[in-house]
Amino acid sequence: MTSVPLSPTDATLPKVTVRRQTASGRVALTLFVIALIALVAMPWWAKTGTIRMILELCCYIAVAQMWNMLAGYAGLVSVGQQAFMGAAGYAMFVLAQTFGVNPFLAIFLSLLVPAALAVPCYLLLHRLDGPYFAIGTWVVAEVFRLVASNMGWLNAGAGMSLNVMKDYSGFERNVAMSLLCALLILATIGGSYWFLRSRYGLALIAIRDNPVAAASQGVNVGRLRFMIYVAAAVGCGLAGAVYFMAQLRINPPSAFDPMWSNVAIFIVMVGGIASIEGVLIGTLIYFIADRWFGEYGASYFVVLGVMTVLVALYARTGIWGAISKRWDAPWFPISRHLILKAEDRA
Amino acid sequence: MLDRGAGMDRDILLRATDVSKSFGAVRVLHGVSFDVHRGEVLGILGPNGAGKTTLFNMISGDIKPSGGDIRLGEQRLSGEPPFRRCQMGIGRTYQIPRPYSGMSTFENLLVASTFGGGKSEAESYAFCARVLQDCELADKANTRAGSLTLLDRKRLELARALASDPKLLLLDEIAGGLTEEESKQLVALVRRIRDRGVTIVWIEHVLHALMAVADRLLVLNFGEKIAEGDPQEVIANPEVKRVYMGIEA
Repeated sequence: MTSVPLSPTDATLPKVTVRRQTASGRVALTLFVIALIALVAMPWWAKTGTIRMILELCCYIAVAQMWNMLAGYAGLVSVGQQAFMGAAGYAMFVLAQTFGVNPFLAIFLSLLVPAALAVPCYLLLHRLDGPYFAIGTWVVAEVFRLVASNMGWLNAGAGMSLNVMKDYSGFERNVAMSLLCALLILATIGGSYWFLRSRYGLALIAIRDNPVAAASQGVNVGRLRFMIYVAAAVGCGLAGAVYFMAQLRINPPSAFDPMWSNVAIFIVMVGGIASIEGVLIGTLIYFIADRWFGEYGASYFVVLGVMTVLVALYARTGIWGAISKRWDAPWFPISRHLILKAEDRA
Repeated sequence: MLDRGAGMDRDILLRATDVSKSFGAVRVLHGVSFDVHRGEVLGILGPNGAGKTTLFNMISGDIKPSGGDIRLGEQRLSGEPPFRRCQMGIGRTYQIPRPYSGMSTFENLLVASTFGGGKSEAESYAFCARVLQDCELADKANTRAGSLTLLDRKRLELARALASDPKLLLLDEIAGGLTEEESKQLVALVRRIRDRGVTIVWIEHVLHALMAVADRLLVLNFGEKIAEGDPQEVIANPEVKRVYMGIEA
């Protein structure tokens, strides 16, 4: 140990700087901004079919990133995030179709529903650990589906159509969809990056690595997990509201489809858990695979399942984990690199 | 039972009164009472299974006592969650190191400093760098904690506890596995921490390290306190010799 007296509050504190950004991060940030601009500008360069396809891709990214925040960081393995997608989707349809609210405004208002529902759900579920929590989230989503199937004012099992969208021209819809795509990515990817770079992100990574130690170092583990659960519900809700607006139809089986959780798990596990980069890579793999091999039906799902299991067994950090072991060039750097001035190096 | 919490001496930082813990039918601690004075180093000795770490876990809030009362200054600790106890000034290390493996050594300390110590992130940078220097970890500041050696993980445990700027520091067998020279350095560090005004409770099996710095010793056996007082007198106690060193009087 050094002979310097341990007195960290005196004037002898070392001179330090902390590096937060990297060259790869700057390049990625530039590309991210360009991607957002390209999303906003879609009506001027993409056909309606392309916009719908990209919107679907954005929804996958958003839902997978929310699942990543839950399972990859907060240790909350949920298989029921479709509950909040469906709840927001239905809320948007009811507001726009039943109450005549502007459908684009209804998207934002509908986010209050998953936020409000997430609170009692979490209070109910947080007492459960690991697999019990996962099963609990699935049960909640199934309850939501059954409730929606039996509610007359939601048109029960027949579902609802968003006829009010006929009031808008094709171009207007494309502009709205493009803006919503950009917003979805900005809110879920940009929002997650901003959060993970903050001191709360530091605490969240500490919880991921060792929740008991994090609590003994002053981190309110319960409150942070609660915040992430509610935020993930809102993020999934936004994806649901946008997705079903583009579909113009909603019914209980599609609104509360467990496929969303399955896809999110595949994307995050294969791409790389606990990294934003992994979500982007995993989504691209899923999306391309879905386009190329989707026609093979059940056998295609078997291949995706086998891929997930193989990654879980032999490459638990996913594709991004393997890449980052070889090249230390994060796209979304969140670490803090301490630089001690020469005279202060121990 | 005497209300030891009422009108507590201002010189006493921690007071445990009749603390007990049972796991089902297994009684781990039974009616243990002791005081920790401000600025002192209290060493805790006892054979394996004596209830030493359980006692720490109850002070830090990781487990709830089955009975009794623990106070920090005038404040009762019962009902306070672990994160609040850290913010109240209780820092601890774990016998088996629990680093945040995916974070750097420096970031491990930042968590404790910003959340436990209540400092802003900007304030914490230089503070944590200094703690890393004092614990000889400055050259590993940007190393992933998961790739540190056992010795460095033990140093990290201590550094992280210090980063929360504690009033009371609970050290759980931090000298285990260290060489003679490393133990001496550790004792020097613990002395410097004490000289800064931090009160320390130290569980340790490396007796010479503990004897070199402890102001008082407390000995536990099968969940009961069997001796407490001046280190030399406690070590000379026939019962302590029998249960801890296996020497029959």
